[in-house]
Amino acid sequence: MVSDSVPAALIPSAANTKNLGKKKRTNRSAKLKQNKIEARREQWLSQGSVKSKGCKDVIDSDGHELPLSSGNHGKRPLEQLETRHRVEEDDGLIHQHSDSESPANSPTGNDSGTNFTGSSGSSSGSSSSRSSSSYSSAGCCSGNITEEDDDEEEEGGGEEEGDDGCLDDWEAVADALAANDKRQNPCSDSPPSHGDESVVQMASSNCEDPNRGPNSGSRNLKPESANLVPWTGNCRAWRADDAFRPQSLPNLSKQHSLPISDRRCGGGVLWSRSAMPSSCPICCEDLDLTDTSFLPCLCGFRLCLFCHKRILEEDARCPGCRKPYECEAVVETEPSVLGGSLTLRLAR
Amino acid sequence: MQASRARLFKEYKEVQREKSADPDIQLVCDDSNIFKWTALIKGPSETPFEGGVFQLAFSVPEQYPLQPPQVRFLTKIFHPNVHFKTGEICLDILKNAWSPAWTLQSVCRAIIALMAHPEPDSPLNCDSGNLLRSGDVRGYQSMARMYTRLAAMPKKG
Repeated sequence: MVSDSVPAALIPSAANTKNLGKKKRTNRSAKLKQNKIEARREQWLSQGSVKSKGCKDVIDSDGHELPLSSGNHGKRPLEQLETRHRVEEDDGLIHQHSDSESPANSPTGNDSGTNFTGSSGSSSGSSSSRSSSSYSSAGCCSGNITEEDDDEEEEGGGEEEGDDGCLDDWEAVADALAANDKRQNPCSDSPPSHGDESVVQMASSNCEDPNRGPNSGSRNLKPESANLVPWTGNCRAWRADDAFRPQSLPNLSKQHSLPISDRRCGGGVLWSRSAMPSSCPICCEDLDLTDTSFLPCLCGFRLCLFCHKRILEEDARCPGCRKPYECEAVVETEPSVLGGSLTLRLAR
Repeated sequence: MQASRARLFKEYKEVQREKSADPDIQLVCDDSNIFKWTALIKGPSETPFEGGVFQLAFSVPEQYPLQPPQVRFLTKIFHPNVHFKTGEICLDILKNAWSPAWTLQSVCRAIIALMAHPEPDSPLNCDSGNLLRSGDVRGYQSMARMYTRLAAMPKKG
């Protein structure tokens, strides 16, 4: 159920992300994080006792301060209403929570803007108080605060359909679960994702990458760069991610959306792009991702895996330098793109 | 089969695009069969083959480029590494030193280099090889020049 609904909910957001560009992507990811945090807080509060009473209070206070918020932010009245609806739907958990947990969010800030300030502030409070909300939620707080206005806009747009909020909640719950799983065993998803297909490798490279943390910058980023460039154009990568959605996508869109996009401009990317032939010099077929990250010989002569295999079956010498391929090690490591090219460099 | 066809087609486009890139080589694909090519190469300067235009016939196997193309001279040539009657060429890159990274164009270049630098120790034309091995460079050059004039130069009036 969760695994079914989650990709369906994520696909539109992925399409949005591509179309709207980097800034919007960060907003979207911030929104997703927000949802996650809210879902977690709701879970937490549902275990608690009091609900309906605080809800009533908040609605009242909201109703009082709506004009004030419109004066502050210049939002459309419709949005204000929607936001208030949203607060009602949420049973006022936010304000109840923020009041009790983080005193900084005073009740006077209960307009549409502070709905999110309150949530983000309280989320930071919850993340500090509860160890279960990871560094990701802590890290997203700054993003939430700085891009608060955009969040409001998107949030307001999203709340226009009642179903959307429901889907968001599902997604948030699933994301929270996935994030928890991931934190407990961060590398659990990487071994099964070493496949032969380029699609699989794409996903694996993406989901492995954030786990490596700062070390990932020093690694060979070729496959990732080859990945990332076509993303803006087609939806291939997202389709690939759908299969691995519960683990890989939260990392991608939420925790590391900015660092990854920054890494696109890294030196490794430039190097690989300049040195990479677009088609196999032997058979003239286009090199796919697996091929481009495949470096069978020290001389740097690249060819597709198909031709490499055929050559191994015949005289097993590199077409570029005519030296015999050291085939065994190379063939063993070639399915795992990242590790393979890395170990090649280190081994020789 | 399909790979060789694609590869040859790409080479064909390459040849069409860079027709003037190498003025000594003119590669022409057969109209009906992409596995049959002919090439016209100019004899390198400062050799007995200077001024001659030599025709080569390529027969490309279906395993190309993993297998080398079969090349022979259609034009008579007096050269230690070219069979005088069949035009067969003794060149390592056409045999065991072939690399799939080579192209028909690069084969032509290699053959031009072979014309300038004969290898008399592995002769297909024993007469030519023996002349060189015995140190009779002048004899070799005059024989080669004569055959160049006879076979590889346009007949004059």
